[in-house]
Amino acid sequence: MIILSLQTYLTFSLVLFLLVPLGPLSTSRRIGVLFGLTVLGMLPLVHGMSPAGYVRGVTDDLACTSMVWLVAAALMRLGFIAPWARPQPLQLWICFAVLGVVLFPAAMGVGMIDTYGWGFTPRPMLIGVAGLTLVMVLLRNAAGAFLLLAATAAFMLDVKPSDNYWDYLLDPFIFLYSLGALAVSGIRWVVSRRPHLPESLPAAHDELGQSGRTNA
Amino acid sequence: MASSKEYRSWQLWALALMVPIFSAAWLNHPSYAMADFAISDFSVIDESQQLDDVPLFEQQFASSDLDEFVHSPSVTALPDGGLLTVWFAGSREGAADVDIRSARYDALSGQWGAETVLVDRELTRSAVGKPIRKLGNPVVALAPDQRLWLFYVSVSVGGWAGSAINVMVSEDLGDNWSRPRQLVTSPFVNISTLVRTSPVFHADGSIGLPVYHEFLGKFPEYLYLDTQGRIQDKFRIADGDNSLQPTVVPIDGKRAVALLRQAGENPHVLATVTEDGGQTWRSEWPVTPWNPNASLSAVKSHRGTLLVAQNNLVDGRFRLSLDEANASLEEWSMIAEIDASPDREGDAIPRHLYEPMLAERFLSSSGGVRRKLVDAYMDGLDRRLCKKDLCDFQYEYPSLIRAGDGRYHLVYVWNNSFIKHVAFNPAWVEAQL
Repeated sequence: MIILSLQTYLTFSLVLFLLVPLGPLSTSRRIGVLFGLTVLGMLPLVHGMSPAGYVRGVTDDLACTSMVWLVAAALMRLGFIAPWARPQPLQLWICFAVLGVVLFPAAMGVGMIDTYGWGFTPRPMLIGVAGLTLVMVLLRNAAGAFLLLAATAAFMLDVKPSDNYWDYLLDPFIFLYSLGALAVSGIRWVVSRRPHLPESLPAAHDELGQSGRTNA
Repeated sequence: MASSKEYRSWQLWALALMVPIFSAAWLNHPSYAMADFAISDFSVIDESQQLDDVPLFEQQFASSDLDEFVHSPSVTALPDGGLLTVWFAGSREGAADVDIRSARYDALSGQWGAETVLVDRELTRSAVGKPIRKLGNPVVALAPDQRLWLFYVSVSVGGWAGSAINVMVSEDLGDNWSRPRQLVTSPFVNISTLVRTSPVFHADGSIGLPVYHEFLGKFPEYLYLDTQGRIQDKFRIADGDNSLQPTVVPIDGKRAVALLRQAGENPHVLATVTEDGGQTWRSEWPVTPWNPNASLSAVKSHRGTLLVAQNNLVDGRFRLSLDEANASLEEWSMIAEIDASPDREGDAIPRHLYEPMLAERFLSSSGGVRRKLVDAYMDGLDRRLCKKDLCDFQYEYPSLIRAGDGRYHLVYVWNNSFIKHVAFNPAWVEAQL
C-alpha cells in the first residue's frame, strides 16, 4: 500500500462528499458518509495505489484555498456552519477569476512574461496578496480573508511540495469554478433584468380583449 | 446579521493575524543572488591528465540489451575519469515497461560495464504518490560538489505533454540514489514540463536546468535550482509554439548560448543568448544548420567555439554530424560526420541490402565487449529498423560533454537499438579542420 498525504485523502473524500446526493440524512449519518468516503479513498487498488492516489494523478495537489473552501463547503453540508451570505461568494469568484486570468495564460506560454515565475520570488506577490486580504477585511468578507490568510500561512510553513506561492493560492479548479459561477450569476442577472413578457402579454391580451369586447 | 461591533471585532482579529503571517512568509522567502555560470578551466588540467597530441577517436556501444527500443541518452563525466550514461528503454517509446537504465564506463579498461535499471515506474509511483503511465528523458550531471543529479520525466495522464519532472540525487557517485521527488514547475496540475538536455552549474553549485513545455505551446525555459535541488526561480527562454529542448552552453560567467530544437515551420536550428546568467534571453532567431525537429547538443570547445552534435538535415535523422560555430553563431562548418546512412538522401533500403550494411556498421561501432552480440542482434532485426522489408538508419538524440581531462564524449541513439558512445580529443578535432 502506498501511503499518501493527508491532503490527498481529504481531497478525494471532500469532493465526493459534496457531489453525492445525501437527501434527508441526519448530521450523524452524513458524518458517517464522509468517514466512509475517506476509507474508500484509502483502499489499495492496483499495485497498492488507492483511489485517492488515482484522483491525485489527475488533479495533483489542490491549492490551499481550494482545500479550505472544500472543508467549509463540507461543514456547511453537515450543518456546522451557515452558508456564506452574499456578496461574499461573488467577491471570491471575482478574486479567483482575476487571479487565474493573470496566472494561467502567461504560464502556458502566451508571451515572454511568466507570471508563474513570480511565485518563486514571492515578496512582491506577498505585498499584493496582503493588500487583497486587507480589501477582503474592509469588505467584511471573512471567508475571503480567511482563505488568503490560510494559504499564506501554509506557504510560510512550507506544507506543500511546491516552492511557488501561486500553488498555495490558486489551481485550475478554483479558477474554473469561479469562472463558471460568475457566468451562471451573470446569466441569471441578465435574465432577471429582461422585461417579463410572459407575465405582461396576457395582461395586454386581456386589455385588448376587453377593449375588443367593448368595441363590439 | 452581525452587528457593526462584531464586524469591527473580527476585522481587528484579522488584521492582528495578517501582520505575523505575512511578515513570517516574507522573512521565510528572502530574495536570492543568482551566481555566475561555473566555467571549467581546462587550461589548468593536472599534468598527469594531459593528453598527447595524437588524434583520438573511439566508439563503442554503452548499452547491451538487444531487444528493446532505446532513446534519449545523457552522459556525465565522473571524477575518476569514468563516465555514467543514462537512457530509457522498453518495448517501445511510451510503453508501460519503459524504465531508466544506466551504464558506467571504466576509464582504466576503456570499456562500458553491463547496463542496469536505475529507476522504474513502480519506484516512481510509490515515491511521488501518483499513478505513472510512462517514463522518459533522463538527464544526468555531476555537480561541482561531487553529487550526481538525475532528472527524468514521468506521465500520469495523457501523452508527453502531461509530463512532470522528477529528481534523484546520489551522494556516492551513483552507488545509491535518493527516492524520486517531483518538481512542481507548472500551475496547471503540474503537467507539461519536460527535460531533455544537460543542466549547467553556477559558481555556487546551484543548478540551471533547461526545460521545455509542450502542452498548449512549445517553448523552452530555464529552471534555476539551489544546491539542494529546490526551485529558486524560472525564466522563459522563448515563448510561442515552435521551440523545444534547449541546449545551454555557458560562454563566460554571465553569457550563455541556447540552441533550440525547431518545432515550427522554419526548418532551422533556433538560437538565443543570455547576458545575465540565464535570467533574460534575446528573442530567438534561426541559424544556419537545418533542424528536422530533432534534439541537438552543444558544448564550448577548446578553440572557444561551439561544438554541436546534430541532425543537420531538412528531414529525417539518418545523419549525425559534429559541427562548429563561432561565438556569434554566424559562421558554421562541419567537423565530421559521426554516423550516416549509406544512402545520402536517407531513403529506406531493401532489407536484403540493408542487413549486411547494418552488420558491418555494428562491428565498427560496437567496441570489443559488445561485438560478440552481432549475430543475436541481426537475428532479431525488427520493427525498430524495418517496416515492410524496407529499413532505415537513424542516429539521433545526441548528448555531448567535455570531461575534465579535455576529451569530448558524445552518446546518441544508434538505430533505436543501442546507445553509442563516441570519444574524441581536441587533437582529433584539429585534424578534421
